[in-house]
Amino acid sequence: MKIAVCVKQVPDSWAEKKLRDSDALLDRESVESVMNELDEYAVEEALKIVEANGSGEIVIVTMGPQRADEAIRKSLSMGADSGIHLVDAGLAGSDAIATSYALAKVIEGRAFDLIIFGSESTDARMSVVPAMVAERLGLAQLTFANKVEVAGGSVTIDRVGDNGIETVTASLPAVVSVVEKINEPRYPSFKGIMGAKKKTIESLSLADAGLDAGQTGLAAAWSKVDSFAARPAKAAGVVVQDEGEGGVAIADFLDAQKVL
Amino acid sequence: MVLRLVVGLALTVGISFFAGRRVLFLVKLARSGKPATGRLSDPTGSVQAEAIEVLGQKKLLKWTIPGIAHVMAFWGFLVLGATILEVYGALFNPEFAIPIIGRWSIVGFAEDLFGLLVLVGISIFAVLRLTNNPAKQGRWSRFFGSHTSGAWVILFMIFNVVWTLFLYRAAQYNVGLYKGTNNFPFMNGGAFMSEWVASWFYGLGETANEIIEVIGIWLQIAVVLFFLLIVLHSKHLHIGAAPINVYVSRRPDGLGPLQPMMHNGEPLNFEDPPEDALFGKGHIAEFTWKGYVDLMACTECGRCQSQCPAWNTEKPLSPKLMIMNLRDTMFAQSDYLLAAKGKHPGLGEFDQAALESLSPEVRAQVERPFIGSRLGSEHEAEDGYTFDGHRTSNAELPIIDEEALWNCTMCGACVNQCPVDIEHIDHFVDMRRNQVMVASDFPSELNGLFKNLENKGNPWGMNSSGRNDWMSEVDFDVRVFGATGEDSIPDDIDYLFWVGCAGAFEDRAKRTTKNVAELMNIAGVSFMVLGDGETCTGDPARRAGNEFLFQMQAQQNVEVLNEIKATKIVVTCPHCLNTLKREYPQLGGNYEVVHHSELLAELVKAGRLTPVNKIEQTVTYHDPCYLGRHNKIYTPPRELVSASATSVVEMERSGDKSFCCGAGGARMWMEEKIGTRINQNRADEAIATGAKRIAVGCPFCSVMLNDAVTSRQQEEGRAVGVEVVDISTLLLNASKP
Repeated sequence: MKIAVCVKQVPDSWAEKKLRDSDALLDRESVESVMNELDEYAVEEALKIVEANGSGEIVIVTMGPQRADEAIRKSLSMGADSGIHLVDAGLAGSDAIATSYALAKVIEGRAFDLIIFGSESTDARMSVVPAMVAERLGLAQLTFANKVEVAGGSVTIDRVGDNGIETVTASLPAVVSVVEKINEPRYPSFKGIMGAKKKTIESLSLADAGLDAGQTGLAAAWSKVDSFAARPAKAAGVVVQDEGEGGVAIADFLDAQKVL
Repeated sequence: MVLRLVVGLALTVGISFFAGRRVLFLVKLARSGKPATGRLSDPTGSVQAEAIEVLGQKKLLKWTIPGIAHVMAFWGFLVLGATILEVYGALFNPEFAIPIIGRWSIVGFAEDLFGLLVLVGISIFAVLRLTNNPAKQGRWSRFFGSHTSGAWVILFMIFNVVWTLFLYRAAQYNVGLYKGTNNFPFMNGGAFMSEWVASWFYGLGETANEIIEVIGIWLQIAVVLFFLLIVLHSKHLHIGAAPINVYVSRRPDGLGPLQPMMHNGEPLNFEDPPEDALFGKGHIAEFTWKGYVDLMACTECGRCQSQCPAWNTEKPLSPKLMIMNLRDTMFAQSDYLLAAKGKHPGLGEFDQAALESLSPEVRAQVERPFIGSRLGSEHEAEDGYTFDGHRTSNAELPIIDEEALWNCTMCGACVNQCPVDIEHIDHFVDMRRNQVMVASDFPSELNGLFKNLENKGNPWGMNSSGRNDWMSEVDFDVRVFGATGEDSIPDDIDYLFWVGCAGAFEDRAKRTTKNVAELMNIAGVSFMVLGDGETCTGDPARRAGNEFLFQMQAQQNVEVLNEIKATKIVVTCPHCLNTLKREYPQLGGNYEVVHHSELLAELVKAGRLTPVNKIEQTVTYHDPCYLGRHNKIYTPPRELVSASATSVVEMERSGDKSFCCGAGGARMWMEEKIGTRINQNRADEAIATGAKRIAVGCPFCSVMLNDAVTSRQQEEGRAVGVEVVDISTLLLNASKP
């Protein structure tokens, strides 16, 4: 059983983020980077599948700047076996389409039975990359899973939707994305942390991966940021001491906003 | 005469064989432990401790009546050692007396007096056993879980030692009177009790007394030897193990700083740890020899149990039961420990050769999970123990209840109380270290704590820029390091004010920060803060057993503090105090750290702060564990409270007996799910004093007690008008006209 887990290093979700004036890209220097929280669930799910199966190999795949290897190391310390790091200056500013192209190219031909993603990354929150990668690889996509079971050459998930839960099955190989709280990601043991330092991470450039530079990077993006402005500081608002008049004050306010 | 000698020696040789074998076993068992560093490196301190704690019985006297009874029994034991010499001498020479002093009446008087005092002592013990009967009081007795019958056997044997002593001494005296010889060393008086007992059967005649003398001597020797055997096979082993344990205990005591993880006598290098390094204690075979001596020294007295905040709120953790459990495990697996001779690899592996040599039953015990869930087992709420010390077998369940292990708030009451210097907290932390770093098996609530510390540098996961917020909420300037481009603390700065995470992010603690800043300004103390250059000291990580994370946090801070040449630091949090002052030296950070109460008390004494307006309400002061017990700072906060209030009242559990608020041991970030709430227990005690202000000196105590008082006020309309305040608030309010 060979599983690929795609992870992304993102800016810390709760930090204040800024866009660079030069190219309207995220100023990564000014914020802490962490592994995308949803990807932790993906790695944990892969570990559980391998444990249930008795054996298996988990390869972590990421596309990102040099320091994105921290996310790979983190996943390795949880128990994954090796990593592939797609890193090249020409990838900076890639949108979801380019990302899916690059990831699919790296993944294909490596005989993975299962490819697992977190359902979205907390920075761009597109949540389409798993589906795009599946499409490019010609594989079934089983997304938004909050339960995953692998048995006898096929994978079955409980898919969380707005109207309820659907059970979806596909034969392997397939692409799965998991939602948060599907499991409890394990805290890496110290042995795991130390062991991770010795595991291999294969570093690939655009050329190594056989990628067409014209399809990646900021220049190839299908959308572009024209201008941006910082959100105005939150106004203090109006505080009304409720001595029985509170309801009236609210009604007046809503009326003034033309909501009523 | 010959018969007397032969029987006496035969008894001695016979029993000594078994006693000697047992002693050899115990010594080999203790030595099979892993190495322990630094235990013999302070001979002066060790000898001093022997004098104060063993000879002076200092810790025992913390409890007056049991203490006095024990002093009598202990000193009686020492003095009556002379009578052991005398009885053996009498085997060889009927007129034997100890050289030089052996016939002084003062010696005879002392021997008799202490014999009587021993009787008084054990009578008091017997009464204590009856009035604190765990069969009736259940877990509220400190003897719950102690071996009741074993205790009575010991008291009985001591009684036997004393009455056989007086029996033969009395007969010796009578024979001496009849024969006109020095048959009894003190024919000229002094041994008042022996003489009085002698008068009871003087009238039986010379021969009868000669017979009674011989029988008495044999009985005394037999009783003493038999008692020796019992001692070596019971908790009374403490008479040998305790003095050793006191000698090798941590100085000044097992409180305050935790020990770093060691390997081959050096602190473990986390960057590149050796393959065979142990991470905490995941099996009884991973304990050090000092740990084994700890376990052998436990007398099951229960003083630790009676003070434990977890046990007192009906949780399964009792420090006494935990130590008893470890001790019983050590003995049950002694075959393996002796066979492995310290070469147990740990980390889930065993010494295979040693393992193969075991019987199937012992092997099953050795391979049994050490720490894990005992959910649903018998007597779960009492860590598997019945009131009289029987542990339920459940041979497949883990030995150590993980629930009990994580209940600990590391308040130190157990270590503080223990008369034989057992270091309970060290063992608990080491077991937690194994659970976190090797087994990766710990309460999931700590996941968030660890992540926040790693990623955000504070337990609440707030942005570090938020550390500066409090400064915009005061109407004076605060000097921040680096603001004017300095690369080390300027000379005109008196103190680096280490605000801490609570002091920056938690509302009530922020108020303390602002108060202390204001008070320092009033007093003309110049200070500087690090602002967002601070990160968590690492205390919660270390207490939770995540030593790796602690080392990362600590190293980072030590680097910063050393780079800026920090020397004097003032903190408002006792946990920061403990870590900065007493743990950072382990990483090369040596600073003069004071708690704000110490600094403010000095300023008041020097007249630089003058409380003019004492508050009318009665105040009671709650000693924070990490300020009081762990760092022995009891007086300065009290001086501040007295300076700020007209009426002060002490709780019963105050000073070194202070009852924990429940937040220590990283429990601040865990929910209490069993029993009653520790903070509620403490708040109720404070409220019961009638005080309207509960003074605290720690941000955690502040949160915990505030929550408890508020919930009492809301649910039952009790505790009306009661407020929890930091001492700085009291002082600041009192300093304003």
